[in-house]
Amino acid sequence: MVVLGFIIVRGLKPFFHSYRETLADGSLAEGTASFSYFWSGIRYNNRFDFETHHYLYGIGHLIVNSLILNLYTIILAVPTSVLTALFISKIAPKPLALILKSGVDLLSAIPSVIFGVFGMGVIVPLIRAWARAWGAKSASGVSLLSGAIVLTLMVIPTVISVSVTALDGVHKEQMEGSLALGASRTQTNFKICLRAAKSGIFAGIILGVGRALGEATAISMVCGSPIQGITWNPFAPTVTLTSEMLLAIGEAVPGSMNYDIRFSAGMVLMLLILMTNVILNDVKNHLSEVNPPPFFIARIGKVMKKGTLAVISSFRKSWQKHKAEKEKKQ
Amino acid sequence: MDSLKSEQNESMQTIFAIRHLNLYYGKKQALHDINVDLYEHCVTALIGPSGCGKSTFLRCLNRMNDLIDDCKIDGQILYHGTDVQSVNPILLRTKVGMVFQQPNPFPMSIYDNICYGPRCQGVRNRTHLNELVERSLREAALWDEVKDRLKTNGMALSGGQQQRLCIARALAMSPEVLLMDEPTSALDPISTKKIEELVMSLKERYTIIIVTHNLQQAARIADYTSFFLLGDLVETNKTETLFSRPSNEKTERYITGRFG
Ligand SMILES: Nc1ncnc2c1ncn2[C@@H]1O[C@H](COP(=O)(O)OP(=O)(O)OP(=O)(O)O)[C@@H](O)[C@H]1O
Ligand SMILES: [Mg+2]
Repeated sequence: MVVLGFIIVRGLKPFFHSYRETLADGSLAEGTASFSYFWSGIRYNNRFDFETHHYLYGIGHLIVNSLILNLYTIILAVPTSVLTALFISKIAPKPLALILKSGVDLLSAIPSVIFGVFGMGVIVPLIRAWARAWGAKSASGVSLLSGAIVLTLMVIPTVISVSVTALDGVHKEQMEGSLALGASRTQTNFKICLRAAKSGIFAGIILGVGRALGEATAISMVCGSPIQGITWNPFAPTVTLTSEMLLAIGEAVPGSMNYDIRFSAGMVLMLLILMTNVILNDVKNHLSEVNPPPFFIARIGKVMKKGTLAVISSFRKSWQKHKAEKEKKQ
Repeated sequence: MDSLKSEQNESMQTIFAIRHLNLYYGKKQALHDINVDLYEHCVTALIGPSGCGKSTFLRCLNRMNDLIDDCKIDGQILYHGTDVQSVNPILLRTKVGMVFQQPNPFPMSIYDNICYGPRCQGVRNRTHLNELVERSLREAALWDEVKDRLKTNGMALSGGQQQRLCIARALAMSPEVLLMDEPTSALDPISTKKIEELVMSLKERYTIIIVTHNLQQAARIADYTSFFLLGDLVETNKTETLFSRPSNEKTERYITGRFG
């Protein structure tokens, strides 16, 4: 909580505190960061606006790029880890399953720098070769796709091990019930086991997404650092909230705009992770129960509707009272 | 009387003929040299003290014991004259359905629960599935209770309804035989009564083999009763005969409550 408060206070500072700095071209700037450009801008550290006295730091593209990178990661990671988990839990013979399980647990303990180094040394060259073969315009292989692959490698151990636990917990009676109806093993695995374990599997995916959204080191090593813009192209370099925060942090002077704005980006990152978690948890709860509760979002909507109606009716009442009194006077 | 009995026996078709069945879990022998005929369109009850091998025997009939790693079977189980070990287990299980002790509906809607088996066999036609759902639920005496909420989750039903859903699910495959392993032991008396009535009404179209611990239940619903003891099949007889004039002394002691 202390950390949270600290980040929020520091993160809001650039928008209220006036910073006096010498720009690269020698001119003197003084002002706050522009709040609207912060959200909508697609270029980080654009320039200083002398008319409005605002520093222009945009993170709109960073947010979107973070989400895109995560989307790619989910697309790669979810099928691989769910299928692997199914194999470990239901198909592999016991000794093999045991070996695989401990292997997966081992993988989840590897620090992210190692994944970053592996990505730089192996994935990036591979993507480069692939991009060349396809004729895509990627000179170096440092790209969105490399980032997604490295993130996938990082998150699948977690997702797999949580999913295996969920799948191991599927009741034997359910599987027997399916087999006794003449379903094959494969049909039982996909139609019954996955379905019965879906909320547990989803919990694993939430953990994985949480880790992927917050990952910085490995991404800054394999994704490159374009200055601006949103990219969907898997072969193009990309820059995300986390990697931008790390970028050239050694050269930033503490107390300067360039330094403090990173706290603002951090604040947004936390917000993003929080929101993703709320939404995903909501979906998970929706999956898990026999009579699922309505979506959290829907509940908020209901409360807001109720509140608005209450306000309107109270206004109406006081208006009628007012009117009645007026008539009395007359 | 005796001549009448043999006449009936002859008119009745044998659906399962079990010959010299021995079953081992690892080194432990769970069934000893079982020989018995089970008749079509009859209710056969399997009774006996706990751990005597009733479930084990029942699970041989649709090869559910295949799923247990160290289970080994000797002897023959002839289904319509062919050994079940030589038929495709999936095909066998579509013909020989099973209902378990604990109701085990799948975590999906009532409708999808019923369609599960047929869909696994590739049935996709919507109108056909709709008919199937209604027919099976009617047969399982559940239709009136759930017809307005076929989309609700099967696990949201009461225990007795869940068990009838499981029966409906098995009936949707149009099986010939229904194996039931203590289907009412987890249910209250009213649900139990419903299922008993259901079993009696189903025997016109299906052959039912039911394991039960409740001797009155066996007496009420079964045409034939088999008594198991410690992995042996002690006696098989017409239910009336077995309960009034058991030919084996062990049976007599069991049904009069003197052991087990
Ligand atoms: N999967 C298994 N592995 C090893 N032994 C088993 C297995 N299943 C059952 N047995 C043994 O086989 C014997 C018969 O068990 P079975 O479940 O058939 O008894 P039952 O008559 O159905 O008992 P109950 O009335 O309690 O259900 C028991 O001694 C039991 O311990
Ligand atoms: Mg049993």
